[in-house]
Parts: sequence; structure tokens; C-alpha cells
Amino acid sequence: MFTAETLTSWIIFVPTIFAFFLVFFEKKAVEAMRVFALAGTVVTFFLSLALIGQFTVGDGGMQGKISVPWIASWNINYQLGYDGISLTLVVLSAFVFLVSMLASWGIEKHVKGYLILFLILETGVMGVFFALDFFLFYVFWEVMLLPMYFLIGVWGGPRREYAAIKFFLYTLAGGVLMLIALLMYYFGSATPEAMAITGHSGGSFDLLKLAEMAQRGDIFSPGLQVAGFILLFIGFAIKVPTFPFHTWLPDAHVEAPTPISMILAGVLLKLGGYGIIRIAFPLCPYGAQVAAYALVAIGVISIIYGAFAALAQTDFKRMVAYSSVSHMGYVLLGIAVWKISEVTGVAEGRDYWLMGMNGAMFQMIAHGVSSPGMFFMVGVIYDRVHHRDLNQFGGLSGLMPNYSGMAAVIFFAGLGLPGLCGFIGEVFVVLSAWNYSKTLAIVSAGGVILTAGYILWALQRVYLGPAYKGPHPEAITPMTSREQAIGWLLIVPCFVLGVYPNFVFNYTNDSLTKLVDTLDSGYQNTPKPNSVQTTQK
Amino acid sequence: MESLGNKLSTLLAIAWLLPLFGFVVEVFAMSWPNANRKSKAAAYFAIFCIGFGFVCSSIAFYEWGEGTDWAAFKAVDHGHSEVANAAEHGEHAATGHDDHEHKAATHETPKRTVFSGTFYNLAQFGNLKLSLDYYIDSLTLAMFVMVTLIATCIHIFATGYMAEELVDDYVDHQVHTHDGGHFHRPGRFYKFFSYMSLFCFAMLGLVLAGNIFQVFIFWELVGICSYLLIGFYVERHSASTAANKAFIVNRVGDFGFIIGLMILWTSFGTFSFDDQHEVDGNVNKVTAGLFTMVRGHDGHLDRSSDGQTVLLKNEQDVNGEWHVRKESDPGRKTITYTLLIVAGLGVFGGCVGKSAQFPLQTWLPDAMEGPTPVSALVHSATMVAAGVYLAGRFYPMFVPEVLLTIAYVGCITAFVGATIAIVATDIKKVLAYSTISQLGYMMLGLGVGGWGAGLFHLVTHACFKSLMFLCSGSVIAGCHHEQEMTKMGGLLRKMPITALTMLVGVMAIAGLAIPGTSIAFSGYHSKDAILATALAYTKLNPIHFLLFLVPLLTAGITSFYMFRLWFYTFLGKPRDQHLHEHVHESPWEMTGPLLLLAVLAAGCAIGGEDGKLFKMLTFSEPVGVGQGVDGAAAHTVSLPGHAAIHASHSTAGSAALLAAFIGMSISYLVYGKGVINPADIKRQAASVHAFLANKWGFDDLYDVMFVKPAHVVAKFAAAIDKFVFDEILHTFVRMGIAVSKWDRKFDEGVIDGIVNLMGNSTYSLGISLRNVQTGKIRQYVTFIAVSVVTLFVLLFALYPKG
Repeated sequence: MFTAETLTSWIIFVPTIFAFFLVFFEKKAVEAMRVFALAGTVVTFFLSLALIGQFTVGDGGMQGKISVPWIASWNINYQLGYDGISLTLVVLSAFVFLVSMLASWGIEKHVKGYLILFLILETGVMGVFFALDFFLFYVFWEVMLLPMYFLIGVWGGPRREYAAIKFFLYTLAGGVLMLIALLMYYFGSATPEAMAITGHSGGSFDLLKLAEMAQRGDIFSPGLQVAGFILLFIGFAIKVPTFPFHTWLPDAHVEAPTPISMILAGVLLKLGGYGIIRIAFPLCPYGAQVAAYALVAIGVISIIYGAFAALAQTDFKRMVAYSSVSHMGYVLLGIAVWKISEVTGVAEGRDYWLMGMNGAMFQMIAHGVSSPGMFFMVGVIYDRVHHRDLNQFGGLSGLMPNYSGMAAVIFFAGLGLPGLCGFIGEVFVVLSAWNYSKTLAIVSAGGVILTAGYILWALQRVYLGPAYKGPHPEAITPMTSREQAIGWLLIVPCFVLGVYPNFVFNYTNDSLTKLVDTLDSGYQNTPKPNSVQTTQK
Repeated sequence: MESLGNKLSTLLAIAWLLPLFGFVVEVFAMSWPNANRKSKAAAYFAIFCIGFGFVCSSIAFYEWGEGTDWAAFKAVDHGHSEVANAAEHGEHAATGHDDHEHKAATHETPKRTVFSGTFYNLAQFGNLKLSLDYYIDSLTLAMFVMVTLIATCIHIFATGYMAEELVDDYVDHQVHTHDGGHFHRPGRFYKFFSYMSLFCFAMLGLVLAGNIFQVFIFWELVGICSYLLIGFYVERHSASTAANKAFIVNRVGDFGFIIGLMILWTSFGTFSFDDQHEVDGNVNKVTAGLFTMVRGHDGHLDRSSDGQTVLLKNEQDVNGEWHVRKESDPGRKTITYTLLIVAGLGVFGGCVGKSAQFPLQTWLPDAMEGPTPVSALVHSATMVAAGVYLAGRFYPMFVPEVLLTIAYVGCITAFVGATIAIVATDIKKVLAYSTISQLGYMMLGLGVGGWGAGLFHLVTHACFKSLMFLCSGSVIAGCHHEQEMTKMGGLLRKMPITALTMLVGVMAIAGLAIPGTSIAFSGYHSKDAILATALAYTKLNPIHFLLFLVPLLTAGITSFYMFRLWFYTFLGKPRDQHLHEHVHESPWEMTGPLLLLAVLAAGCAIGGEDGKLFKMLTFSEPVGVGQGVDGAAAHTVSLPGHAAIHASHSTAGSAALLAAFIGMSISYLVYGKGVINPADIKRQAASVHAFLANKWGFDDLYDVMFVKPAHVVAKFAAAIDKFVFDEILHTFVRMGIAVSKWDRKFDEGVIDGIVNLMGNSTYSLGISLRNVQTGKIRQYVTFIAVSVVTLFVLLFALYPKG
């Protein structure tokens, strides 16, 4: 029953099944519903662990593939599969959903609706990670949108409607761009050469086949690849988010309830990075290479800009939100350090690019643990004193020693301290960047100073000092055992990943090696218009 | 040899990991619900961990000695053996006319032994490999023994010093609550020792590291331990600010470090110091490490004919010698000379931060906010010396231009630190500035080509400075946390052990010796070694004469301010009678370590450059350093070889001793005897005093130059988000709303209007047509006829040609 082929579908739909049964719970049985929903996330998490067991390390290709015709007249299939890239992110997501569900105990309003939306959201996320059909991918992508909109708009803070609509508009805009690209590729793959690959008439939504066509180089014209890449990149960059598409993020984070912030930071942002790796790059290798310098620059700007913006915030949660912008900048930077020699026209220092890619993947996983951790830590104190003004805290280390210790570890992970998860991703990406561009590499290295600045300054204002300065000092009580459990769940992976990064690289390296190879040959095989070639940096 | 390497790595790994274990245990014990805050168990456990580490290190040292037949100590310094014609020889050596003699000389020296290997792989991407390695040579062993021994002493001292934390209700007199009282909190004895253990782990890891990336990992970890320990009194705003400052200023240095790492990683493709051996099937694969690639076997840098490119030696022949690959070989590696300089400067940038060198020295004095044992261990003996250690470890990668920078940075730091120490009145601040100054000496020593001299001073300084810090801790504890020397005086009678051990430390740092005999304190030997190298260096490069004169002057200043401290504190009349009455000598757990460290401070360098310590260190001297470098051909600076340095010894030694005696005498006249009133001098040179007391204005300058602008830029970035990006979105949304409003108006006004109009007009048409609907047949026929005619007329008018 649980083969690799079926596990993927189970992981996608188990949350929905649980959501369906939640409908029959009595409205007053709040605790039972929570436990039931938690069970749903736990089951999903264990299924994702089982998927690791099915995974063959050393095989960089897609595993556990299934394909069932869905809308046959348009060649749309229910096609799933996974490789090291999706596997690591699926496990991360299942973990973050589990932890966030634990953190959802404080939600009192419309509990049933909340839990159902929460689980449907998980289905959407898992579907995106497994989908190998572009149309299916798009459907799951949009499936995520509505639950998130309501989770922010109904259970959020005072400005929830504004934040929810902002989130919705941005994501929708990204979705529309993706849709255009999707149609471009569908009709672009309806040529005779393409049919030799797909084996059927008409266009294709098959991501693997489309990638294969892109690798052949002569099917998608350079113009199509550039236009397609721009559309797809903006669509995904909004989700990452990178500068200048990031302003939905602070509002969404600040207004969302704590567990939803954790999911936003831990999972949803990763979908942007995943989309770039899984779709934007493989479908348009030529476009990606042409845009590489811009991508690296955007990544570096996001790192520095996000860090500066974080330094200026007075709202604790907003500061953490901006730290996400900064940290996700490393992801883009690592993905894009694809250097083509100006002299020979072939890739130069491809191992460094591979390292950057791996670093980017690691950074996503690491940020997926540390950032929910930071939001959770903000949530713990917010639940008590109901404010987030950084200048109105202080002295928490004396009042809540365990909480402060845990928060310090999580924030140090965000600061990129060796031994904790944040370090590996950041430093690997930065080290790989010099091969691509010296200037941008130096600027990105400057991020370490700013990161230390905003995190330590925030720690000082919140946790250190003699006394708590804000309102509701009487409400400051030690962490509950549930909160402690969540804290530990988040801290342990920080250490494990930081000390033994091969837990991630073992799975990602083969798939990324294959990706780097195919991208490179895709770029080499694409006939280059002379005018574009000269703009190479 | 193989098994010896395994033995050494196992022993040192135990010494390295035990404190980590200690940390974990202490942390969990601390958060145990009913943890007894009055128990010293945490301290004993921490002492056990680090003490056992010392035992392991000592065993490793012994094993290493036996395994290598104590070759290091048997080594005869060729410079010394030829002391008779040393001057002449030195000239020759330095200018490189005397190659065969050198080869002869180096053949006498036994081959340095390095044991290296890998603990585990962090990651591997294609041919790029990152791992946790070890690199064990005599320097590693010396550092291990030194760090564990001093750390053990300091841990024992701290059980006494931190005893006041063994309470459920600790009153922090330096923190005032808003109701005017003092701040109360539970004692944090456990926490202190857990942090100390974590620090020991990080520091030993740094020393053991077998690649530069691993050094960076532990570099950051010692940094965070330093942060935690400086900010130990978290309630004090000054402490948490100082902790932040220390970490952030260090990160500025790390920024350079990372740039260096990027260059090395991209150009060399490895971080490993030593060659890496890998068994791939039956083939034993060896890849060149950084040092081999740059220096090969003879320490020589291979450069292209135009000198712009450095050719890297990464091909091994059958004899095991490394060569540059041929130009046609795709595996050939090169790096531009400029890039090698930048890489060296970048890594040195990290050392500047960590070792508080000019211009990043400002964090160290503030770091004195931490408890005094921390200052002794972290901020004088070990962590801040890590920068010097790294500069020494990474020495083969530094080209003469980088070494010149290191020399000048060290020289400026030594001078700036010493001058500020003259006017400091806080006993710990004096020591802090003195630490900065001494670290400058070490850097200077390395920079002018004295590899052994710089690291020699590192070890001796660790002994006497940790001694002095602990003495100051004893004084501070005795004086109930008074740190201002202006309130002390006459403490010699009250705390004789502290005073006398402190005097040993002072004499050691001042570099005192009895002329004509071999009786000398450790500081004399090491400082003499540095000054001799500097003198030899300036002889070769006369334009850099300041590199000898400034440190010489600084030696005098050092002697002056250190004796000032001692006279101020221990002699004369008590300045604060009330304080004086309550002063007491510290308990045995504090004075015991003082006595042990005093012995080390006085005698660890016995024999000077013929002594065991120096020989042990220089056994690991990078190849080629002993010969010196002739820079005349390449238009760079020259570096003196051993022989040249030896020739300068007597001059430099006498000059240094003279400077020290002068400094001491002036100090005695001013502060001991009171012949000159220091207040008068202060009045006379008020502006100089203010300048020095303001620490040369660095803090203010950096505040204006970096801190404030960073906050301005940050606000600016946040404002852009709010007023530009969001505003653009809002404008779009407003436009959308406006369009939809227009749409509604259009809908209601125009489209609905037209529809309504049509409806209305149809209706009214119908109403009006009602009039024609008369029911009279004749009228209808008339209408039809007229219509038909009209239609035909229209038809013919419009389509005349049919």
C-alpha cells in the first residue's frame, strides 16, 4: 500500500482526509478537533519519513513517478514524483506543519474552520512539491492561496484585512504570470520536434518532458526562454520574496497568527525557491543564464536591504519578517552563481555553482527551521504581554530563563553561528559567489556584520537588562510544557543540521548535480543570438 | 608514525571534546527544576573536564616527544652555533648569497613533523571538499598544553572569585531598580562555568583545526562565548552593550576573513593546511594542501616571469616532491600575486578583529565588563591571542607585503595601547590596554619575520597576563568590587601573596632581567626576541626604521605604566580608608593558582632562545623562514633569517632592558617615591591627557562614521518599503478602485443610461405611436404607400446603379 508511488499521493491527501472528517466534529469539541488535526499532521510527517526510507541515495533522477491521465484532451496528467530537492522540502514542510499545529493550541476563534483550512493548506503545499505536471502544479499553487488568505484575514491581527488582501494580490499576480508562461510552454511544445519527445500530438504540461526539450535547445527559442524566464521568475520571486517584491511579507507576517507566520516563513517562502529550481531554471536554461547577473544582484540586494530594514524595525515580529527577506536572498544568490566563461563560452568553476545550489537548498531547510523558531519565540511573549514593541521589553532572561535560553539559541541560528543550521547555508553560498562575481561576493559577505547587528541589538532590548519595561508585567509566566516541547522540536534540528549538514546534502547533491549538468547542456545547445551574447557578464 | 598520529589526534580530541560534554551537562543541570544554587558541583565538573584535558594534552606532548625522539629539543639552532661570525653570516644569509651554507644549516635541523587527518566530512561537491580536520605539530601541542593549563588555573581561581554567585538571592550593586534599590536575582554560578567550558571547547577546536574554514567555525564560536561571558551580568546595560560591541566589531574583522576565505576557496579549491591523503580503492591519492601549493618543500614562492602570477605546486612526483604543473596541463593552478595579497590581508583582517589590533581595538577594553576570570582567560591569554596564533599558523600564505602590513598594524597597536594604558585608572582597563599593546608586539614580531618570536611572546604573555588579571581579580574581590586604582593604595600589607605574585607579573611584562646573567623573566626573553628580529629587519629595510624604534619606546612605556599600576595599588598610603579596612587576602583557591602562574610567568621561557619552549615552538617553523627572504630583486621588503636575527640580539636586548629600566625608574620616582606629583603632569599636559583618556577618540569616530550612518541607512531602507514600494502598490490599488468607480459610473450612467434610454424611448415611441394607431383603414394604406415610396427612393438614391 505504501510504495514510493503511492506515498506521494498519501502525503498530499492525508491532510484533506483529516480535514474532511473534521467537518463531522461537534462545534464544542474543540480539544478533540485539535488533537485530531494534530494527528493528521503527525501522520503526514511520518509518511514523509517513510518516503525517505523509499528514497535511493545516489540517484539524482525522479523517483516514485506516477502518471494518470486527468484531462486527456489537453494532455494534462496527474503526475507526481520526487527527487532529493523535493524530498528534503517535503520533510521540512511536514515538520513545520506539525510544529505549527502544536503552536495552534492558542487559537480560540472558529477552531473548526481554522483547522480545516490549515489542513487544506498542507495538501496544497505537498501537491506543489510533488507535482510534475505544470498544470497540476498550478492548480496546487492556487489551492494554497485561498486557505492562506482566510487564515490571515480571519484569524489575523488588527490590520488583517489589509494584510490578507495584499498577500492575495501579490500571490495572484505571481500566479497569473505563471499561467501565461504555462500557456506559452504548452503551445511552444506543440511542434513536431517536441512531439518526438512527448510521443503525442499537441502541447505538453509534463515538466520533465519540457525540461528535456529545453535541454535539447532547439525547441524553445532564446526569445521564448527569456520571456518565459522573466514571467516565471517574477512569479516565484514574489513568493520567495526578493527585493523589490517583498513588501507583502512584513504585513502578512505581522498580522498572521503565530502558527500561520511559522508556516509562511517555514514553508510558503520555500515554494518560491523550489519553483525557481524546479521550473524556472530547467524550462529556460538560456533565459536563466542570460539573467544570472541580475539574479545574483537581486539576491545580494535582498540580503543587504533586508538586513538594513530589519535593523530599523521597532516591531519584534516585523524585524523577524525582514530577516526572512535577508536570509532568502542567500537562496537566490546560491542558485544563480552560474558562471559562463567569456572566452570559451563554457561553464567555469561548475563545482562552485553546484556548491551554491546546495548551499541555497540548505539555506531553505535551515531557514525553514530557524525562522519558524523565531516567529514562535515572538509569539510566546506576544501571547503574554500583547505587544511587540522592541523598546518596551527587557529583562526577560531573568523572568523567563528557559524561554530566553531557547530564544537565544534560535536567534543565534538565524545569526549564522557555526554549529547551528544558519551558518552552513549562508557561508556555503557566500563562498561559492566569489567565482561568479567578486564585487557582489564582497557585498554579500558584508551581510554578516548587519545580521549580527540587528539580531544582537534585538536580543539586548528584549531579553537583557534589569527589568521589563512594557505593559502587563504580571502576565509574564514561564513557558508551558507545550511551548517548551515546541521549542525543543525546533532547537534540535538547528543543532543536528548545523553539526552534520550531510543530512541534507546526501539527498540534494545528486539531484542538483544532475540539474547543473542538464542546465549547462541546455544553455550550450540553445542557439545564441549574437546581440544577447555580448551582454554576458 | 601513523599510529602516533592516531594516538595524538585521539588524545587531543578528548581534551577538546570534554569541555563540550561539560557544557552540556552543566546546562542541563542548571535548568533542572530543583538545582541547588549553592552547590559548587558545576565548578568541580568544569575543572575536571579542563583538567583532564590538560592531562591528555600533557600525555600527547610526551608521546609526541618520545615518538619524535625529542628531536625538537635536540635541534641546534645554527644561528647560535655560529655566533662567532654571526654578524657576517647574517648579512650573507639575508641577502641570499650564501645558499649552500644555508642548506647545510637546514640539514642540521631535524625535519618538522606534522600529523594531519580528517575527523569527518561536512560536505563534498564535485572536487570541492569541506571537512573537520586536525593538524598537529609542536605549535598545536604547545598551545594545547598552555591553554588547558592556564584554563585549569583560572577555573580553580573562579571557584573562589565567583563564590558570591552561590546564593539564591544575589544583589547586583551596579544595577539600580527604579525604586532606588539594588537589583536582586538568583545566583548564576552554574551558568558561568557552563560558558567557560563551552569557551574551552571552542578555543581548543580552533587550535586543533586542520583547515582554515574550520578555524573560522571555531573563530565564531569563541566569539559567541566571549559575547556570553562579557555579557554575563546581563542586567547591566554597559555589559550587554559591551558584549554586542565585541561581537559586532569582531564581525567586521570576519568580513575580511570571509573575503580571504572566498579567494582561497576559489583559487585553491581547498582549505586544508596540509596535504590530504585519501584512499580510493587501492590507490593512495594525495592532494596538495594550501601550504604545499604556495610554498612547496623549500618555502619558495614560484612566480611567473613578470611576477604577476603565483604558480601553485599541486603535482607530486615519485619522490614526493611537489611541482608546478605544465602550462598545457588542465590541472595547473595559478593565482595572481595581488589576489594572494588580498587573501592574506583578508585573513589577517579576521586576526585584527579577534586580537584587537588597530583599528579594531576598541572592543577589548569594554570587554572588561565580564567577570575577571573571563578577562584573564578569554580576553588576555587565549581568545585574543587566537588572532596571533592564526597569523602564525597561516604564515606560509603571507607574502612580504602582507607581512609588512602586519608589522605596521602591530607596531601602531603596541604604541596606541601603551599610551592609553598610561592614563587609565581602572585596574582592569590598564591591563586591557596592556594586552592590546602586547598583542601588537606579537603581530609585529610575526610581521618582521620572527615567526618563533611572535608565538614565543604569545605563550609567555599568556602566562604573565593571566597571572596579572587574576591578581587584579583578587584585588577587586578583596576590595569588594572596587576597580578604581585611585581608591586603592597600600594593599601590600593586606594582601601580600597577591601583591608579590603581581610584582612577578609586572616584572615579566616589563621584561626585566639581571644584565650579564642568564636570570631573566619570561617577558624579557620573548620581547627581546621580537625586538632583535625588528632590529634585523630594519637593518635590511632601513626605510622601515620605525618598526624597531616604536616598539623600543613602547617597551619603556610598558614598564612605566605597569609599575605605575603596581605602585598605585600596593604601595603608598591607602587613599580610601574605609575601603582599606575591609580589604582581605583571598582564599587559597584563588592564591594557589596565582602562585602557580607566577612560577610560569617567571620561568616558562627559561633559557630564552636556547630554552625548551622556544625550541619546541620553532620546531614547527614554516620552511624557509629561517633563511629569510631577499626582496631586493622583487622590489619588496626583505626578511631577516635566523642568523641575522641572532646577530642583533645583544644590541636589541640591551636596548630593551635599558628602556625597561628607564620606564621603571620614572614610574618609581612618580608613583613610588612621589618625587614628582602626577597631578602636576596631568595639569601641564591636560590636552594630551584628555586625548589619551578619550582613547584617541576612536569610539567617537566610529560612532560618527559607522554606527550612526548604519542606522540612518536602515531607517532609509524601511522608509523606502513604506513610502515607495507600498505606495506603488497602493497607487495601483487606488487606481483599480478608481477605475472600478468609473466603471460603476459608466455602468450606471452610460450603459444603463443607454439601456434605460432605449427602453424609455421605445416606451415613449410606443406611447406616441398610439396616436397613429387610429384604426382607420385609409390612413393605414396611406402610411404603407408613403413608406414604400420612401424606401424605393432611398434605395435608388443609395444604390443608383442597381
